[in-house]
Amino acid sequence: MTEILISPQLAFSALVLGSLYSLIALGLNLVYGTMRLLNIAHGDLIMVGAYATFWFFTLTGMSPLVGLPLVAGIAAAIGIILYFSIFRRQLSGIDRVERIEANSLLLFFGVSVILQNTVAMMFSGSPRAYQFLDTVYEVSGLMMTGNRLATLVIAAILLTSVVLFLSRSQYGLSISALIQNQTAARVVGINVSRLQFVSFISGFALAGIAGALVSMTEQISPFMGFPFTIAAFVVIILGGLGNIKGGIIAGMLLGFVEIYVVVLTSANFRSMLIYGLFVGILLLRPEGLLGKTRRH
Amino acid sequence: MTSVFSLAKMRFVWFLFVGVLLIAQVPSILGSYWTLIALNLMMWVAMTQSWTLFSGMTGYISLGHVVFYGVGAYVVASTFNSIPLWLAVPMGGIAAALLALVVSLPVLRVRGPYFVILTFGLAELVKFSILNLETVSGNSSRLLFGAPSVEILLYCMIGLVVFATLTTLIVTHSRFGRGLTVIREDEVAAATVGVPVLRYKIIAFTVSAIVPGMAGGLMALKSTYFEVLQVFNPIISFTVVTMAIIGGSGDVRGPFLGAVFLVLLSELFWTTAPQFYMILVGLFLILFVIFAPNGIAAFLDKLQISRRSG
Repeated sequence: MTEILISPQLAFSALVLGSLYSLIALGLNLVYGTMRLLNIAHGDLIMVGAYATFWFFTLTGMSPLVGLPLVAGIAAAIGIILYFSIFRRQLSGIDRVERIEANSLLLFFGVSVILQNTVAMMFSGSPRAYQFLDTVYEVSGLMMTGNRLATLVIAAILLTSVVLFLSRSQYGLSISALIQNQTAARVVGINVSRLQFVSFISGFALAGIAGALVSMTEQISPFMGFPFTIAAFVVIILGGLGNIKGGIIAGMLLGFVEIYVVVLTSANFRSMLIYGLFVGILLLRPEGLLGKTRRH
Repeated sequence: MTSVFSLAKMRFVWFLFVGVLLIAQVPSILGSYWTLIALNLMMWVAMTQSWTLFSGMTGYISLGHVVFYGVGAYVVASTFNSIPLWLAVPMGGIAAALLALVVSLPVLRVRGPYFVILTFGLAELVKFSILNLETVSGNSSRLLFGAPSVEILLYCMIGLVVFATLTTLIVTHSRFGRGLTVIREDEVAAATVGVPVLRYKIIAFTVSAIVPGMAGGLMALKSTYFEVLQVFNPIISFTVVTMAIIGGSGDVRGPFLGAVFLVLLSELFWTTAPQFYMILVGLFLILFVIFAPNGIAAFLDKLQISRRSG
């Protein structure tokens, strides 16, 4: 038993899954933190990113890694359309946070249903997959496929650069300030709606990139997004809603817990584990496991 | 009582009465296909009406309404042939209400996004727990032979709709209902002026679980085949919320309008183009939230006012 627990193989899997969860949660957190929008279509943007990558690869042979900026652009474009057609009006017309949260949930549910079924209508509902970078590398007994290694490296680079951007640059600090307190941010002269727009499309772009990474290692289908949405919500609630660093730590945590519990018990318990953990944490510490208290 | 019942609401009670009588004629006049559709329609009205009793009034959006439906179905399916049905179906409702009561204290402590996600997560947790329980005991699916006919189920479901609708009507015009509405507008202010916030929320949450519990029990009998993943499908919760929003969640007529709208839409498109139907549902949901947040019911009122003044 202990051999399993200290095996580097398992730690590597957990690290890959955790970094993916962190990346997915980061996008969701940016949108919620700056705008209080509950994006339950987040997983469907991942799906769109995965499909875009799949088609670029199978039709033009473009490497998924080269296609990353393009896929990010497609997801961001969807974000731009949604922002101007729906959410800008919601944010400017309503001043009560509860109302914005409730409405955004319903609106994003509509968006989610539309995205899933449009893709299913265009490309059928059957799952697809492609093979890319699946050579196995061995480093002192640890077996890694190239695509998993690439997922880990890209996610790590993105997570680090976003955290550095938010904590070091003037622009990023303004976004952090906006996440902490919107009214105060406005008072000190931060252009709130502009930063909200930037965070909104960044969140979408990050989801697109995450989708490209997922498509390298897993089967894709029009309805693959929902489990990711749920995982992302579990992560950002664990880390404290709107708490960027907390979300990243919680993402790694969920990756490790999931991999190790499945190995120690059985795959049947995966869903129960995620929801049990989630409900338990919410009941015991509604402000999040790692979060600072933040009530409104 | 009549003074607080507006004229429109009184007329609605008549509509309800006549409509119920008409739907009860469906089996003998239109045959078995339409009987099934009528049963489905009544099920959605009952579900949505019970949802608005808590979520519509307090503004706490629950994405876990299916859990009560599933628990009711589970009670009926697991006691099938050992407990008479006239007892098992109400027991399903009571079991659902008990579940609501037990979880209400911790669940109703949280608000906003936490509440939404928590209700969803709880429903999924119960689903997977029962699924594992059934797998361990080797019952992952059950057959229910000798269940009552669809016709009888329809009459029972109509009874549930009437019960749910009258409950909503009575609650809306009571001190209790006004308390719930104040909670929706401003919970802190409600507590300050002396509304027993927590107690009201717990009562509303518990009562709103009875009808879906019984509806789930009846629908389990309809399909003669019980599968956990089917009766706890989160799509049911989402459909209920969509119907409430489209019909109007603050109005006793809303669930009827929303359910009729979506059931008709699905009759038109579901069999020929299911994905197109879902896209339409998504579009309508977005359009209603943006342009008509109080649903078709409010739209009808506006129409009537402009006709009268014009």
